[in-house]
Amino acid sequence: MRRTVLSALALAGTAVLMGTGPAFADGAAAPSPVPASAAPTTQPEKSAEPTRAAEPAPAPASAEPTRAPADGQVSVVPSGAPDTGVASSPASGNDGAAIGAGAAAVLALGGGTVFVVRRRRATGA
Amino acid sequence: MSSFSRRAVTAGALASLLTACAGHGTTPPRPRTTASPVPADRGRSLVRSAPVRLLIPAIGVDTPVIRLGLASDGTVQVPPVTAHDRAGWYRHSPTPGEAGPSVLLGHVTVGPYGDGVFRHLARLHRGERITARLENGTAAEFAVTAVRTVPRTDFPADDVYGDVDRPELRLITCGGARTGDGYADNVIVFAALSGAKSPTPGER
Repeated sequence: MRRTVLSALALAGTAVLMGTGPAFADGAAAPSPVPASAAPTTQPEKSAEPTRAAEPAPAPASAEPTRAPADGQVSVVPSGAPDTGVASSPASGNDGAAIGAGAAAVLALGGGTVFVVRRRRATGA
Repeated sequence: MSSFSRRAVTAGALASLLTACAGHGTTPPRPRTTASPVPADRGRSLVRSAPVRLLIPAIGVDTPVIRLGLASDGTVQVPPVTAHDRAGWYRHSPTPGEAGPSVLLGHVTVGPYGDGVFRHLARLHRGERITARLENGTAAEFAVTAVRTVPRTDFPADDVYGDVDRPELRLITCGGARTGDGYADNVIVFAALSGAKSPTPGER
């Protein structure tokens, strides 16, 4: 019975700690998502035109649709949208939460074990 | 006693689980869309000279400018993710002050390093000043004509990279809701040349 309780506790604690593991890994790997995998999928600029035309677009009149590579203008038009944001700043907060959770789990496990061991000794079991 | 200890331990485990779940789902407020077409003054063009510094006093930007090209997948390169974030000029676009859309990019956030150089780009308003200092010592002055927030899946390439008959500026960053480790939208600032400054000794 007690062993069952102890095993269940150990399992729960391990699950919590394993859950926090990937969070740390995510945080560490965050700086590298610059080569956007999402960028190529944003290519369909032509299908995007009609929907934008209805918007209060400020510049469509000056941005001629005939975009020949003229002197001084953009010579190579990049595809897709620029990936100018690596959003892992809240990850620091999540890291803190994960650390707190891990510490709480370890404390709970340790406390439970101490409790059970002391009680077993007291009862002589 | 035994039931008490069991309850205490269970409560501890539950508390830790709740703590682990807390803190997720925090998304920044969606930047407003300020699209206001403005016919800015048609300034004369400047000679070609690469930008070396960008200043936007209204949002506290004063950054060196690096040169960017194309990535292997055909997208535009972006500045490296570093603690000292900088803006970058797309070198296949005109230099600031030349006729055409000069394109500069910067990060809104740089992952573990926090805010990027264009963190507050969406706060710009029509008429606010942008200065690009050039390699030859001159400075091109621009005034904001519009600020747009658009979905990244619907990037207005023609509006950004299309030909224009006067010197203009495009400042691009990310914005909107966070999606995994990126953002759903792009924030694009459109600006037009409003003046030029001749070189000032020691001012670069």
